[in-house]
Formats: sequence, structure tokens, C-alpha cells
Amino acid sequence: MTENYHVFSDGRLERHNDTVRLVTEDDEKKYLPVENAEAVFLHGQIDFNTRLVSFLNDHGVAVHIFGWNDYYAGSVMPERGQTSGRTVTEQVRAYDDPEHRRQLARKFIRASIHNMRANVSYYDNRDHDFGSVITRLDTQQERLEPGLEINELMGVEATARRAYYSTFDDILPDGFVFGGREYNPPKNEVNSLISFGNSLVYANVVSAIRATALDPAISFLHEPGDRRYSLSLDIADIFKPLLADRVIFRLVNRQQVDMGDFEERLNGCLLTESGREAYLKEFEQMLDQTVEHPRLNRKVSYQHLLRVEVYKLKKHLLTGEEYAPFERWW
Amino acid sequence: MAYLIVVYDVEADRTSKFLKYLRQYLVHVQNSVFEGELTAGQAVDVENTLEEMLEPGESVMVYQMAGESYVERSVYGEDPMDDQQFL
Repeated sequence: MTENYHVFSDGRLERHNDTVRLVTEDDEKKYLPVENAEAVFLHGQIDFNTRLVSFLNDHGVAVHIFGWNDYYAGSVMPERGQTSGRTVTEQVRAYDDPEHRRQLARKFIRASIHNMRANVSYYDNRDHDFGSVITRLDTQQERLEPGLEINELMGVEATARRAYYSTFDDILPDGFVFGGREYNPPKNEVNSLISFGNSLVYANVVSAIRATALDPAISFLHEPGDRRYSLSLDIADIFKPLLADRVIFRLVNRQQVDMGDFEERLNGCLLTESGREAYLKEFEQMLDQTVEHPRLNRKVSYQHLLRVEVYKLKKHLLTGEEYAPFERWW
Repeated sequence: MAYLIVVYDVEADRTSKFLKYLRQYLVHVQNSVFEGELTAGQAVDVENTLEEMLEPGESVMVYQMAGESYVERSVYGEDPMDDQQFL
């Protein structure tokens, strides 16, 4: 269970000979080794039936559906193999205890700011002067006092992220104008890259949560809602700078994505299919990248870091062991 | 992790059996050749199952590396492993 598969073609996805087969509209047949699949991302127009869904369910493979123009449209999650009433109970208890909830929310934000800062200081050392941004991030970090309410914590996070985003216009080459975060729909190229990247981080965290008994809808920083897997939003925030944003810098600075990879649609700016494919290839490479883990004492992939993160949180909730969220250490 | 290259030589009417089984785990790169990355546990399962599937006179060879990064792979012409994750 290691690889994500991305289906861009239109066609039909089916169970065939105990594995998964894609039959494209041109009747081309391609096989996905189901035993090696973590999740299938559908970007094209795909038909599938209940037989396939049951089969993927048996193998614990999630399907993430990206609808029209690759807006994240939802996931078909396998029935959770891991079920534990105790885990969910502890999770709800932590949510319901204001002090505990704020403590977790603070940790998520501290780690997010740390990871944003890591990106900024990388470019600060390479012919950019981001000293003032780093100071602003540090100031927000210091504001994370135990007394702050959730909405105040959210405010700290938003201020830090604004400071962080202010570096994008400098880091990205001329022509790519960012000017601040806007979504629903994204108004320009950089915003559409961020939206697409963030939705991929989110979907990958959803897959990681699924491997544990944690309930993806009970969260701490974000308010649990009716629809979203809000725990995934909490955890995805920590990883966006490492995964989504660095892919943007690489692709744009190496000109693997240019203005031709976007189109204006419905008052917004969206990635074309070729742009999305270019982003995804780089993104999957990023997930496969490995780093020496000081506590596990072995090399782990970035994708595995997502798993580790969910396990740590679960352990904290069950045993009270302190939760130290992922902060880039290299 | 383990990177596997599996090569099999079996009776013509039985190749589909091996093809069908290996497609669940690996990528079909050429006639009777599969490769790909698996966990160490899966690799053991695959080897055991393949051994059980064999009949007298048939053989399967499994080349196993500690991971994809340990393989220096040169392909001339089309590479079926190219963009395997993107369909």
C-alpha cells in the first residue's frame, strides 16, 4: 500500500481478474496492481460500479474524486478496517475539554508556522531578503499563549500565513503575480496552484487518517463541520508548506509550468489538464522523497510522515504521551 | 521495502495464470516479466505463492533489491514503468 494512482483518461474503472483495470474510451486497457495501491485519484470522467467499490473496500484502497476542473469533489473511503470505540471516545473527550482542545490547536499552529518559516528561511539564504517576514512569523509564534481561544488562535494562524504568502511574489518569477490568497474560485495562476496543491495534501491526509481508528470528522483547530473531514484540515495545514508549496516553487521556477498551463473560466483561473499533470508528477515525487527520521532511526518517505503524524496524535489521545507535531528538522 | 523483478517460464497455456496473479502486485513490463516495489512482507507472499503455482519443468526467477533506489535501470525504447502512476 504505497502508491497513489491518478487517472486522467475518460473511461471505465473495473474489477478484473482480482485487480483493478482501466478501460479508456479508446478501448485501451491498463492495470493497476491493487496490492500496491494506497489510493486512486480520479481526474477524468470515469464510470465504476459497486463491484469495484466493494473490491477496493476489501483492499483498503480509497478513491478520491476530483470533479469538474479538478475541484475536489469527495472521497469513497473504505469501511474503516480499524474501529475502536475507545479511540473515538478519547478523541471526543479531547475536543470537548476546552483546555485540551486549545492545547492541540496551539500545537498544530506552532508546527504550521515553523514549517512556513523553514520555507522562508530557505529562500532568505538564497538572494532574497525575508528578514522582516521571519520576524513577523516569530512574533506570531510568540503570541501562542495558553489563554487564547480557538478563534484567536485562528487569527494568529491567518496573520502568520499572510506574512508567509507575502514572500511568494518575490520567490516566483516575473509574470506570476500572486497578490494574496483568493479562492472559490482562485483568481490567478498562483492561487489556482495553491488550491490544487492544498486539496491534494488534504486528500492524502484523509487516506492516512483512514489507516487508524481516528474519526476524520472530529477536529481540534478547525471546527468539526457537517461535511468535511475537518481533522484532515488540522493536519494538512502542517504539511502544506513542505508538500504543496515547495512543488509550486519548483515547477514555476524551473518553468515546468508556464502561463499556457492555465485558463480563465467562470471569473477564475484554473489549471489545464497538462498543468495538473505536471503538478501531480512533481507532487508524487515529493511524496516519495525520503528523509532520515531521528526517532524512528530509519529513512521514511514524506508520504509516510503523514501516517506517522496520525499515529502520534492517536497515541497522544489514548495514552496521554505528549504530542509533538511534525516540524521540519532538516 | 523490496524492489522485485520476476521472470517466469511456464507452459504456454498456463502463462495467463501467472499473468493474472502478478498483475495484482506488480507491473507487467514485458512478456513473462514483471517488476515493481512491494513491502518486504508482500514480497515473501508473492514468492511463496509463485512457488506453489509451479508444475514440474517450469521455473520462476525473482530478483530482489532492497528498494527502487538500489536499481540502476536503463531502458531502450518504450518503458512501461514510465508514469505508471498516471493513467
